[in-house]
This record gives sequence, C-alpha cells and structure tokens, in this order.
Amino acid sequence: MSRADASPPAPPMPRPSGTGSPGGAASAGIVAVGVRRGFGAVKAVDSVSLAARPGRVTALVGPNGAGKTTLLLMLAGLLVPDAGTLMVGGHDPVTENAEVRAGTGWMPDTFGTWDSLTAREVLVTVGGAYFLSPPQARARADELLRTVHLDDLAEAPARVLSRGQKQRLGLARALVHDPQVLLLDEPASGLDPRSRVDLRVLLRRLASEGRTVLVSSHVLTELDELADDAVFLSRGRTVRESSLASATGERRTWRLRALDPVVLATWLDETGVPYRSAGGGTGTEPGLSAAPDDGSVHVDLDDDESAAELLRAAVVAGVPLVSVAPASGALEQVYLSLEEERR
Amino acid sequence: MSHVVEVAPEPAEAANGPAPRREPRPTRTWTLRRHGVRTVLELELRQRVRSARWRVALGAWFVVCGLVTWLTFRASAALVGPDYGGGYVDDGADGFSSTVTVTMHVPRGPLIFGIIVFFVLLAGLLVAPTLSAGTINGDRDAGTLATLQVTLLSPAEIAVGKLLAGWTAAVAFLVVALPFVVVSLAAGGVRVVSLAVTLVLLVVLLGVVCAIGLGFSALLSRTTASALLTYLTVLALTVGTVILFGLTFPLITQTDEVRVHEPTAISDIDCTWTTESSERAHTERTWWLLAVNPFVVVADAAPTTPAAARYGVPDPLQAIRDGVRSARSGPADREDWCGDGTIAEVGNASTAPVWPWGLGVDLVLGAGAVWVTVRRLRIPQGTLPRGTRVA
Repeated sequence: MSRADASPPAPPMPRPSGTGSPGGAASAGIVAVGVRRGFGAVKAVDSVSLAARPGRVTALVGPNGAGKTTLLLMLAGLLVPDAGTLMVGGHDPVTENAEVRAGTGWMPDTFGTWDSLTAREVLVTVGGAYFLSPPQARARADELLRTVHLDDLAEAPARVLSRGQKQRLGLARALVHDPQVLLLDEPASGLDPRSRVDLRVLLRRLASEGRTVLVSSHVLTELDELADDAVFLSRGRTVRESSLASATGERRTWRLRALDPVVLATWLDETGVPYRSAGGGTGTEPGLSAAPDDGSVHVDLDDDESAAELLRAAVVAGVPLVSVAPASGALEQVYLSLEEERR
Repeated sequence: MSHVVEVAPEPAEAANGPAPRREPRPTRTWTLRRHGVRTVLELELRQRVRSARWRVALGAWFVVCGLVTWLTFRASAALVGPDYGGGYVDDGADGFSSTVTVTMHVPRGPLIFGIIVFFVLLAGLLVAPTLSAGTINGDRDAGTLATLQVTLLSPAEIAVGKLLAGWTAAVAFLVVALPFVVVSLAAGGVRVVSLAVTLVLLVVLLGVVCAIGLGFSALLSRTTASALLTYLTVLALTVGTVILFGLTFPLITQTDEVRVHEPTAISDIDCTWTTESSERAHTERTWWLLAVNPFVVVADAAPTTPAAARYGVPDPLQAIRDGVRSARSGPADREDWCGDGTIAEVGNASTAPVWPWGLGVDLVLGAGAVWVTVRRLRIPQGTLPRGTRVA
C-alpha cells in the first residue's frame, strides 16, 4: 500500500510511431498519451500512455480497479478524458466521435442485453444501429452467430443464455460493423475452456487481418498465448509497456522436477545454484504454486539461454530430470515482478 | 452553433501540460434519420410487446373501460331519463288499432361522452409516465444504453425512437378504449367531429406526458425518482393548476367602479345606469393557469354541441369551456341587470378559444424534455450523473 512514495518506473514514453505504422503516424491503431480521468475525487485513470498496433493483440493487464474499464470507455468514445490525447483508428474520440464509433467495436465487461430479444434479433438490431440494410444485417447476424458458435441458440431469448454464451453474443455484437479496432473488456470471463480456445483463435485471426485488438484482463494465463504486447496498469497509471517476446527474455522463475528430488537438490547445492522448494511454499512466492509437494524446486534464471545451459549441465551430471518449465506465464512473471518493485 | 475545436496538441506537449477538457463536437447530435429512429422504435416495441404484463394490462384496461361506460349510461339514465320515451297503444273505438309512439328525445350524449373522454384522459395520464419514465435510466441500469450509444445512432434518434415507442404504447391504451368512446356517440348529441378533435388532442397530450417522462428518465439516475417526478408534473398540470387558480383569487380580487344598468328604486321596468363599486376577481390575469390543464385543453377544443342538445343535460366539456373562457375575459366593464332576468355582461366578453395557448405551453414542455434527453445522451460524456456508470 506504499505505492505513493515507491518510485515508479519512469513514465513510459509512447512507442515511437515509426516502428508500428511506417509513415502513417497515428493513422491506425490506438495511441494514448498522458490520459487522465477522474470521477469526483477518485482518479480512475491517472496517467496512461499506451500504443496498440494494428495486426497485433495487445493485453491490458492490471488488478481490479487499475482503470482498465475507464480507459476502454474513453477509447470507445463514451467518456471524455480530463487530460491527454487519444487516437483510435486515426481519429480522436472526443472531437471525431462518430468516426471513432464507426471503426471501433467495444465489448463492455458488464454485459447487458435486451432480454426479450433472441440472439439473432440482438445482432440484427445492432446491425440496424450501424445502418446496415435489413438483408445485410440478417446476413451479418447469421455469419457472426456461426463465428461465435451460437447458431443453434439463434432463436433463444437472450435471457436464457448462460453467462459464457452472453459473453460470446457480446463479442459478436462488437464485430457487427466489421471494426478495425477492437476494445474487449474481460472477454474471456465466464467462458468455458473450449470457448476460451475459440476466442483465442478468433482474436488471433482478427489481428492477422490487420486489426488492432486491445484486450483487458486480470486473468494472466489466458492472455499469455493470445497477446503480442502487454500494457500494465496499476492505480490508473501505465507502469510498464512491453512486448511479450521481451518478457520471455527476462529473468524469471523455472520449475524443475526430478525422479529423485534428493539427487536434484544435492546437485543444485554442489553447483551453487540457489533454489527453493516449489511445493512447500517458502512464503516468498505469493500464490505461484498450489501444486502438491512433489519435490519440485524453483530456480531463478536470467533468460532462456541460461535455462538451456542449466538443463544441459544437469543431464550431463546424471540428474534424472522429468520436467523443466517456466514456473508461470510470461505475463504473470512480469506482473509479479512489478508487484515486487512496488514493495 | 459554432464550435471551436482545438487542434489536438502534439503528444509531447500533452504529456507535460494537461490540455483542458475539450467539448465534444456535437455535429451529429441532432441527426435524425428514418432508419435510425425505426431501429430504436422496433427494438423498444419488441421488448414491450413480448412482456406478458403488457397484454394483461391492455385486457384489464378494456374491461375497466367497458365497466365505466356501462355505469355512465346507467347513471346518466337515472339523471335525465332514458333516451327514448315509451310508446303507448291506442285502441281506437272504431276498431282500427293504431300505434302511436311518442318519442321524447333527451340527448344525454354530451354527458356520457364528456365523462368517458375524461376517464380515458385520466387513465392515459396515469399510464403514460410508467411507459416512458424508466426508458433511459432503466436501460442504463441494465447496461444496454451504452451499447446503443456507441453505435452510429445519433442521440436524437435514440431519444425520438424511445419517445415514439412509449407514445405508441400509450396510444394503444387509447385505441382499446376507442369502442367505448364511440358508443357514447350513440346516445346522441355529440357530433363525429367532436370525437375526432378530442381523439387527436388525447393523442398529442399523451405524447407530451411521454416526453416529460423521457426527460426525467434522462435526467435522473433512478427509475423510481423519474417516475415520481413525472407523476408530480402530471399532478401539477391537472390538479395543481386548478388549486393555484383558486388560491390566487385573493390576489386578483379588487374593488372596481362598475357601470351597472339596473332597475330604479321606483320601477322594475325603468332602468338607469349607475356607477357602483364592487369586489371582483380579475381572472383575466390568471386564466392561463387553467389553460395548460390537459382536461381544459380537451374540453375547450371539443366543438360545441348542437344547440338543440344543450338543454336539460349537463355537458361537462361545455361547462369547462364556458368557465375558462369567461375566466379569460374577466369581469365585464359594464353589467346589465335589466331586462329579461339574465345578467348580461357587456363589453369585453370574449369567446375566443384558450386551448391553443394551453396546448402550446404543454408542447413546449414536451419539446424541452426531448431536448434535455438528447443533450444527456450525447457522448463522450463529461460529467456523469451521481451514482451512475457508463456501462
């Protein structure tokens, strides 16, 4: 809770626009600089800068109350920022609101729907609201119902859909007008594992078509395989912006398991590699592992190369290793390292 | 409306000094496209029609209307007698049997028509707020308002679509009651044109109440609060105006010198003009309080019943019409107490209709409410109503 005086990492500068879209400056994607928004005395978003590039999935990561939803509301053109500039798809949501709305699909976290309408009617209505002609809207609705695997529930009232099914309907609704920018607020919450995989495949496909996808979540594991870049928010501030590729090149914790834990421990002692038990819970790792104590150990390593080196040495030394893997996802690792910086 | 749009500052500048909050450019706030309005209207109506509550309410309303009509017929018959007197058979001594039917036509149509129209108006005024006073804040609670706002629909299209939906539902109540209003024509004495004019005004007034409900639902975050304020507004217009009109009497009562034409002390036949001082209420200063009353608007606008039908039966619409028009004229400059026993007010007596004024004020109220609604639906939002979320 001593966030205020802990010196935060230097406010990240926005990505040089040259790297993302050559020449186009802010012609596409999402750029936010120094965005601030408060509700009365509460500073929901204090100072957020981020860039999300077309063709990539960007994760917006942060604990509850970090300002993710407020930021997305501003990007969707629903809220005016108190300060700072926003560009979504090349338009300013404040001054060119209609242009932003035309090219942006927004999926809210609290999903409300018109209860007495069927799933198909919801999508046809939204199509109408985007000024598609009735035949176009119907065709688009059918297409999207297939995309999110709700075609067998097309005639069911939205009221009877489960939470996960409503989430999928909400995603379809955000896609009705074929937007170039997608703002998804906790899209995976309530989804079953199968739907999560479908969501990941769908979002990857949408990004590969050149769209900008910004996904907020506090469930880090689901973002790991999905996101290209990550923006970390904490208490309304951008605390870190990085690509996941760079995140994997960082010091992180690995989990080692051998047939005989004693042999592994002895070898680690001999080689002088610091380790700690993974299962017993030494208290230093908050919630990293809930696995039963099978003799696994955690080792902090600088990067993938040192992991490979350690593995090679262990095998040469005859340690009966069964598995060597990162103890947690890359995002989780970065996230927790931020938490640690804060202490 | 000219709006200065600040050029977006360079990112580096913005990071240093916070730019002032810019006003959203409201260029498309008032865009009204048929497709957009229809989309909202269809959405709203679909949701209303599908609820079973709605059908039950209409059914109950039909039964109540029938009951009231039946009671009105019975009560008016007791009051002024049946429409048609009985016939009697005269058996002539000459063996010829002739039937003579004596028809006594006592038209009680105006009474029945007036009562039923007022009943329908009263019910409409009570129903319309429930149909519209929860549309905006209710949608906000349900999380469905923002999903409409982020589409390409303009605030005006959302507001007008919702207004039309509430209005259509209110008019549905009117349509259900229509057979009973028509039945009152059968009692005679009411012209079809009266029916037409009255119906048009009922429709317009219900629209005004729906608009007021819509405005409050956009202004307030809680549906109960907006419904309450809409009812209070309706109450102020219907009952409050009459009470206020009565309460202002002491304020507008003053002692005037009046020229009076009255019999002399000596003779009943000879009349002379004298000047007397008398206390008189100058209702010409407060008549407008009555004019905005929806019941007065309807009564005043209904065409007068044929003169033949006027005797013997009370006509509530006629009574209100005469009352409000004489209130508007105020006391006469001169009073003629002489002659055939009726008091003739001479001078500025006017029979000009007052309903255009009242209806005008009511329409301005409704239009203002729609204006407020559209303003509140604009995005991006600067300030949020207390205790609300955008989505």
